[in-house]
Amino acid sequence: MSTINALGLILLVLMVLVGGKQGWAAFLSLLFNFGFLYFGLILIALQVPAVWVSAGLGVVILAITIFMGEDDLKTTIPAFLASCIVAAAMLGLIILIEHLVLVQGFSLEDSDDLEGMSIQIGISYLSVTIAAAFLSTLGAIAEAAMAVAAGLTEILATHPNLPNRRLFGNGMMIGKQIIGTTLNTLFFGFAGSLLALFIWFLGLHYSLGTILNNKIFGHEMVIVLVSFAAVIITVPVTAAMVIYRRNHSPESGSNV
Amino acid sequence: MNWQLAGWRKRLLGLFLVVGVALWFFMGHNQRLYQKPIARVEAAQTVKTTRVKDQFENVDYQITQRLKLRLLNGTYRGKRLTVTNTYTKSQGLDQAYKKGNQVFLTQLVKKHGRLTAEVSGYKRDRPLVMLAWLVMMLLILTLGTAGSLALASVLLNVLLFVIAIEVDLKFQDWNAFWIFAILALCFAAASLVIVLGPTKKMLATLAATILATAVAVGLSALVITWTGARGVYYESMQYVTQVPRPLFLAETLLGSLGAVMDEASDIVATLFELKTLDPDVSFGQLFWSGRNVGKSIMGPLVNVLFMIFLADTFTSALMYLKNGNSLAYTFNMNMSLGTVQSLISGIGIVLAVPLVSLFAAILLGRRG
Repeated sequence: MSTINALGLILLVLMVLVGGKQGWAAFLSLLFNFGFLYFGLILIALQVPAVWVSAGLGVVILAITIFMGEDDLKTTIPAFLASCIVAAAMLGLIILIEHLVLVQGFSLEDSDDLEGMSIQIGISYLSVTIAAAFLSTLGAIAEAAMAVAAGLTEILATHPNLPNRRLFGNGMMIGKQIIGTTLNTLFFGFAGSLLALFIWFLGLHYSLGTILNNKIFGHEMVIVLVSFAAVIITVPVTAAMVIYRRNHSPESGSNV
Repeated sequence: MNWQLAGWRKRLLGLFLVVGVALWFFMGHNQRLYQKPIARVEAAQTVKTTRVKDQFENVDYQITQRLKLRLLNGTYRGKRLTVTNTYTKSQGLDQAYKKGNQVFLTQLVKKHGRLTAEVSGYKRDRPLVMLAWLVMMLLILTLGTAGSLALASVLLNVLLFVIAIEVDLKFQDWNAFWIFAILALCFAAASLVIVLGPTKKMLATLAATILATAVAVGLSALVITWTGARGVYYESMQYVTQVPRPLFLAETLLGSLGAVMDEASDIVATLFELKTLDPDVSFGQLFWSGRNVGKSIMGPLVNVLFMIFLADTFTSALMYLKNGNSLAYTFNMNMSLGTVQSLISGIGIVLAVPLVSLFAAILLGRRG
C-alpha cells in the first residue's frame, strides 16, 4: 500500500470514530476539494482563463467546505453568502496587489526544478499566480465565517429578540476570541511550507533587501497577508449577514 | 462610552494614515540603502516580437524591449543609460517592465564613456510593505486589543522561527527535526500564554496540543517507514539544502501545530464556559460536549491547511502538465508531499478532539 493511501485510511477511520457522520462528511469534503482543485488545474492547462477558473472553483470549494462541514442551514447559509462576498473582495485585492508586486512564475532559486522543462507555456503566469493566491485563502475564509455564524446562531437560539447592534457586537466578540489562534493557524501553515526556503535564505545570508525583493518570498507574503486580511473582514461581514437574514426572512425566525 | 471609543479609533486611524504616507514615501526613496544599483524606467519601447513554439506545441512570444533608465543610487546616481530586456509573454522567469517601474541592475560598467548594464530584477519592496501596513491597520482598527495581541504573537513566532533556523544552520549535524520540534514547543507555549494568559486553561490547551501533534507525527513517521515511503517523493521537495526526510517531518510538525492549537483552544474555551454556567457539570458531559464542538471544527480546519499546501504547488504543477507529463506523474512530483503533509496534519487535528476534551474534563469535571 502506498503511504498516501495508508495515511488517508488512518485519517478516515479516525474522523469517523471521532465525528461519526460529520467526520465522514469532513473526509469527503477533502476529497471533493482535491478533485475540484485538480480539475481546475486541467482547465487552466487547456487555456481557460485562470482567474475565471479560480473564481468558479472558489464558489464550489466554499460551498463544499461549508455545507459539508455542518448541517444547520441557519449557520451555513449566512456563512456561505458572507464568505462569497469576502472571497470576491479578496479576489479584487489579489488582482490589484499581484499587478503591483509581479511575483508570477519562478525565481532563480527554482532553477534546479526547472531543469529540462519548457517554461514558455503560453499561459500568463501572472493569472496563474492570482488563481493560486486566491485558492489558498479560501479555507481560512470558510473557517472564520463558520465560526462567527455558528456562534451567532447559538446566541439567537437563546435570545431571539436581541437588537441588531448587540448581535453585531457579539459577532465582533467572537471575532476577537478566534483571531489570535486563527492567525497562528495561518502563520504555522505557511511556516510549515516555507521552512526549507528560509533555511536557504538564511544559510546563504541573503540580505533583508534581497529577501524583500525576492519573487518567492513576495508571493508567499502576499498570500499570508491577504489571508490575514480575509479572516479579519470575514468577522464583520458574517455578523452583518446573519443580522440581514434575520431581518429579511419571510417568516421572521421560523423559515431560515 | 461609544463616543470615546469612536474618538480612540479615529486617533488611531489618523496615526496609521500618517505612518502610511511616511512609509510610502520612504519605500519609494530607499534606494541608497541598497548596495545593488537601482534605476527607474523612464521609457519602454518594444523592439521585436518573435513567435516561439516548444516541442510540446506550446505557443509563446519572445519580446525584446528597449528601456531608457535613470540611475537612483551609487556613484552614477542621476546618470541615464539604455538597456535591452528580453522576456516571454507568459513571463515565467523574466518579465516586462513599464514606465515608472524601478529595477535592479547587474554588471553596471562604464565603457568608452557609456554606461552599460543588465536588468536583473524588479524592485517590489514598496507594494509588499504597504500591504503589510494595510493588514495591520485592518487588524488593529477592527479588532482592537485582541487584534494587537494576535499580531504580537505572530511577530514573536516569526522571531522564534528565525532563531530556530539560525540554530539549525549553526549545528548542521544535529537532527533538524528535533531542533524544530523544540522550537514548536516554544512556539505553542508562547502563543498560548499571549492569547490565553498563564492560566489552567492554557495548560490544558498546551498539553493537548503537544500530545496530539506528537502522536500524529510519530504515528505518521511509523506509517511512512512501514510503507517504505512508497509514493512519497522526497526528491520533489523544493529548496532543500539539508537531508530532506527530517526536514519534511519538521515542516509537517510546524504546519499542523497552529491548527491543532486553534482547535484545542476553541474546545477548552467552550468547556470552561459550560463549567461557569453549570458548576456541577459531570466529567462525562464535559467530554461529550468537547467532542461535539471538535467534530464540527475539524473539517474546516483540515481544509484550511489542505488549501494552503496544495495551492502552493499550482504554478509548478501547471508547468508539468504543459510539458506533456501525465496527470499521475504531475501529482507525484508536485502534490504528493503536500498531500502527505495535509493528511498528517489532519490526523493531528482529529486526535486533538478526544485528547483536549479528556484533559479539560479531568481538569474541570466532577467525577461520578
